[in-house]
Amino acid sequence: MDGATSSQPGPERPVSGANKSGKSGPQGLVDLTAPPTTGAYLREVWRRREFAVVVPAQDLRAQNMDTALGQLWHLVNPALLVGVYFFIFGVLLDTRRGVDNFLGFLIVGIVLFHLTQRVVQDAAVCMVRNMGLIRSIQFPRILLPMATVNGQTLAFLPALAVALLAILATGERPSLRWLLVLGVLAAVYLFNLGVALVVARIGASVRDLERLLPHLLRLLFYGSGVIFSVEAFVTSEAWRRAFALNPVYDLITCARWCLLGTGVDQSVVIGMLAWCAVLPVAGFIAFRSAERRFGS
Amino acid sequence: MTGPPADVTVRVEDVHVHYRVYEDPRAGLKQNFSQGRLRRQFSTIEAVRGVTLDLHESETLGLIGANGSGKSTLLAAMTGLLPLKSGTIRGRSRPSLLGVSSALRAALSGRRNILIGGLALGFTRAEIESRMDEIIDFAGLRDAIDRPMRTYSSGMRARLNFAIATARIPDILLIDEALAVGDEDFRVRSARRIDEVREAAGSVVLVSHNMAEIERSCHRAAWLDDGVLSAVGEPGEVVSAYLDSLSSSRSRSSG
Repeated sequence: MDGATSSQPGPERPVSGANKSGKSGPQGLVDLTAPPTTGAYLREVWRRREFAVVVPAQDLRAQNMDTALGQLWHLVNPALLVGVYFFIFGVLLDTRRGVDNFLGFLIVGIVLFHLTQRVVQDAAVCMVRNMGLIRSIQFPRILLPMATVNGQTLAFLPALAVALLAILATGERPSLRWLLVLGVLAAVYLFNLGVALVVARIGASVRDLERLLPHLLRLLFYGSGVIFSVEAFVTSEAWRRAFALNPVYDLITCARWCLLGTGVDQSVVIGMLAWCAVLPVAGFIAFRSAERRFGS
Repeated sequence: MTGPPADVTVRVEDVHVHYRVYEDPRAGLKQNFSQGRLRRQFSTIEAVRGVTLDLHESETLGLIGANGSGKSTLLAAMTGLLPLKSGTIRGRSRPSLLGVSSALRAALSGRRNILIGGLALGFTRAEIESRMDEIIDFAGLRDAIDRPMRTYSSGMRARLNFAIATARIPDILLIDEALAVGDEDFRVRSARRIDEVREAAGSVVLVSHNMAEIERSCHRAAWLDDGVLSAVGEPGEVVSAYLDSLSSSRSRSSG
């Protein structure tokens, strides 16, 4: 842009970050097949970070292009979801036992669960779907699950705005506690990133995962107290402790505490912090160990 | 060990590349049960078997051979896309495979695809924006650039792909049968752009089944036969050796 050499269409001479680590030959030839060090890998990810934001944003734009409601679907979909669950579980089955603001309770749970569910479903197929790209262009593969998480998070933002308005409509009033939800959302992002890395790595080699996922996600849905209060329905102390080990339950419960003032146990907060600290790192290690095998 | 001569850009040494592929079992389920093998069978394909090759500054190397002889696999290995079974590939910079079509989205406009394709190739957004007009003009798509790519003809798509992929002239360029795209005017311009690589002391590898093109535009040719280098040298000689082998195998099968 400013006449720096990088913006001139000249030859691209220096070996880019990804392979500086390779052993240098006698005449300055570097090993092109050596895997980069973790530092070089992360620098290359950072250099190409725009890919993981701009490409999913463009894909989002393309997604609903030929529907009548267009981009509005990103709002209508979560609203319909909440409506259906409210009717069946709130009205027909009356699971609202023990919850003051059941509609607000449902909204927080469903919107957050829906985000993680979409991340998992998308991450499972993101490597297979981009096989052509993987086989023709050299780039850190971790950008693909990262783009998945970013894309679903972008699609989630309008739903979040609707959810907050709907919660206000149920009679809640914002307080300073609402600001803490930003911290919970950061934890949600980190958790989703970690999950996406693990799921993408498994999904790349085990195609059966895609068939198994709907069942695993349904189990997770009921195991996370999305549509009922665990406090009110689960009486066994041991089972309650098991719920606190479920990261999705922890995240949803913390978000409900921020927005609705429902109860939250210390173990739930610790569980949330532990999961979102450990899972992204574990996911990174798991994903990178398979980096060379993607595409073969 | 003696080092490579100073003008070597890429040195491929005794490279082997193997693929694992799943066989579609011809036997029925019942037969598989009776033979006690429920797991799917896979076999190993030795796509490249012990290739040694140097690329030099300012040269175009033509790579020829029958379908399935390992040409594309060798190119992919040179970019670092494929793990090697054994051997080494060293270079002064990372070769890039010409083409970015796998990153492009048919539903989006040509302009948005330039952004996406450029990011996939490692450009920053600012770099792409600053070259946007140049890329559009080179592709000759000034009028169609804001239309969805699915409305483009295959020639227009190929021109867009080529224009994005060569927005930055790489040091070492690998081309897999991509040259015969577009109309005569575009062919001249794309050939000119490939010449720029060599003028900047880079190397070009060109995979093609068009023997006239190999003889016309390459300084050396290499013939890959079933994963093994059969001949390397002056393009005319290598091409005729290759063509001779084809006609003799044809007369054998017909006779």
